[in-house]
Amino acid sequence: MTSNVLTLCAAGMLVTTFLMVGQKALFTTIRLYGLQSALLGIVAGTNAFAGGGKDLFVTAALTIVLKGFVIPWFLMRVIDRIGITREVQPFLNVPASLLICLGLTVIGYRVSTGFPEGAGGVSHHLIGVALSMLLIGLFLMVTRRKAISQILALLTVENAVFLVAVGVTSGMPLIVELGISFDVLLAVLVLGVLVRRIADRFESMDVSRLSKLKG
Amino acid sequence: MSVLVWILAIPIVAAVVGSLASARPVREGAMIGGLAMTFVLSLVAASQFLRGQMPSAFGDALRLDGLSALVLVLCAFVGLLSALYGAGYLRRNDARGLVTTPMRREFYGLMPAYVFAILFVSMSNNLGILWIAVELTTLVSVFLVAFHNQATSLEAAWKFLMLGSLGLAFALLGTVLLYASGQTAGESLASLHWTRLMAAAPHLHPLTLRLAVVFALIGYGTKAGLAPMHTWKPDAYGEAPSPAGVLMAVGMLNAALYSVVRIHAISTAALGPEFSGSVLLTLGVLSVLIATPFMLIQWNLKRLLAYSSIEHAGIMAIGFGLGVRAGVFGALLHMTYHSLAKPVAFFSAGSIAQRFSTSDMSKIGGGTMARASLASALLIVGAVLITGTPPSGIFFSELIVLRAGFVGSHPAVAATLLAALVVLFCGLAFQIGRLVLGRGTAGNQPRGSVFGPNSSLAPLSDENRPPGLVSIDLALGTALAAAIVAIISAFYLPAPLLDLIHAAADVVGGRS
Repeated sequence: MTSNVLTLCAAGMLVTTFLMVGQKALFTTIRLYGLQSALLGIVAGTNAFAGGGKDLFVTAALTIVLKGFVIPWFLMRVIDRIGITREVQPFLNVPASLLICLGLTVIGYRVSTGFPEGAGGVSHHLIGVALSMLLIGLFLMVTRRKAISQILALLTVENAVFLVAVGVTSGMPLIVELGISFDVLLAVLVLGVLVRRIADRFESMDVSRLSKLKG
Repeated sequence: MSVLVWILAIPIVAAVVGSLASARPVREGAMIGGLAMTFVLSLVAASQFLRGQMPSAFGDALRLDGLSALVLVLCAFVGLLSALYGAGYLRRNDARGLVTTPMRREFYGLMPAYVFAILFVSMSNNLGILWIAVELTTLVSVFLVAFHNQATSLEAAWKFLMLGSLGLAFALLGTVLLYASGQTAGESLASLHWTRLMAAAPHLHPLTLRLAVVFALIGYGTKAGLAPMHTWKPDAYGEAPSPAGVLMAVGMLNAALYSVVRIHAISTAALGPEFSGSVLLTLGVLSVLIATPFMLIQWNLKRLLAYSSIEHAGIMAIGFGLGVRAGVFGALLHMTYHSLAKPVAFFSAGSIAQRFSTSDMSKIGGGTMARASLASALLIVGAVLITGTPPSGIFFSELIVLRAGFVGSHPAVAATLLAALVVLFCGLAFQIGRLVLGRGTAGNQPRGSVFGPNSSLAPLSDENRPPGLVSIDLALGTALAAAIVAIISAFYLPAPLLDLIHAAADVVGGRS
């Protein structure tokens, strides 16, 4: 039962990541990120029920509240304030991106078999999904123009790292976990402020315009 | 309460007071006084360590061993220097009406906060806390890079934040995997304490550990600005106000290398020095090689110093990566001398940039010696110091690293390093010589300004001042004092400091 839930959630996270790659509307991408984070929270919660320790409940709650709701809400507010077009405008078209991400998923799963827990079972899926998400997040980061899309790519990478943490180690020590969550929240706030300043000055948040500094 | 807690609490208080106070003496007093107290307390903590006590706090999450003590003292010293210089820097900009009240609050709040974050890194014994502290340094410094709020500074801040965050995501993955490698060892590690991981090193799961080490080294290496993850560095150093630039170039660099070395030490204890050593050697050699051509073609004074910083980070990475104790000692000695020498170069370059309202060397033109005598003279001293020209202390540390390479099993690395050092020396000598002593072209008064093309503010007008007269203010006085300290240190390194370096080398380990 537990392993079914875990596998389902991990698969769901991978699906949301792929949808983020294919999605053109910015708001939907943010909601997909929220969904992905909520699934991560469920993975942590399920592990906690399966005997991962009390600390994991805190992690699960924090993940669902902060990453599932607070951060998406904040990002949408930033977009509303700036009033930009709500299209993603990637450098690469969607079919090609999806094809590349498919390849990245294969690589992610291949690498995950090297782990000691990767021989089989649920951990294998969790690590495989996490590594695939990591690679896709990096891919999104280099192919997106908008500052907000780049932030979402970064947050996807962050989610992948947390999935490894939950899947492999049944959670980090609580104090560390709290500190990391606080830092991630702070980072998103800082990014939001910076995006607003960039939008004020450049009247756009197309980061491909940030190309004056060279050499 | 442990002295470590005080060292962290005082900069926070200074930051709060500095950002809230409205009177200038209070703001400056809070920053300078607070960071001076922090420096004194860091000396107290280091002397406690040398007397055989082991200052620690929060159940060993913060702990001072040799490496921590060395980095702590160096960073606290640079924090004090940059506070003094920063006050002078802002006074000058204030005199020209360039500083608004929000900027002032930001500056006096962020500078001590940045020092806090750097010192927090230097005493973390828990790898999770270490990651949190490094992330804090990034978040604080982003606003310092974006301080002037120009198009270029926002661009630099954005690139810095994106690359830094990505690096830190890698470092976090490394930390998680490190934790996992302890769990799969059969004995469950209750914490991420570095000391525990070191004790359990032989039992860590090798494959997970290898992955962890690679991710963590690349992650923290990004923060140290090792090539090929160095691209944020010239932008950030070029755009940040000079006092913050020094904190990045010395404090942040030391803190990031501290994190790198902690990971390297675990890897050495578990897998032997070759594995992580080879990663460090690769990154180090790449850094030195990449810095070379960019230094020759550079047009911007502050970016020039950034490439010099990449080079020095590379030298230290090579020293640590050689896997012999002599190399580690050389790298730590290099860290010490670099921390003393770099502020001189940065402060004088910052003064010149401020004087001409640009750090674009083609706009400043040649012959600054006639127009900004003391700053130019100090820039020459700084250049001599950071290129490792005798009597610079860096000469000795580079010699030790090179010797460790030639004597040990990496003569090719040492030969490459030596060749690059020669070219780098020529490059910096050429650039600085042309700037300071070159023929001044007529009418090379600054056109644009670092504060944007639409800034109507004229550069400091002291045309009427008779030539040769040296005017000294707080900023230049700090630069001069830093130069004196750096030169003396080449001949006389206090015995306790040398003991600290030896103790730090013992922490890192390596074959003797």
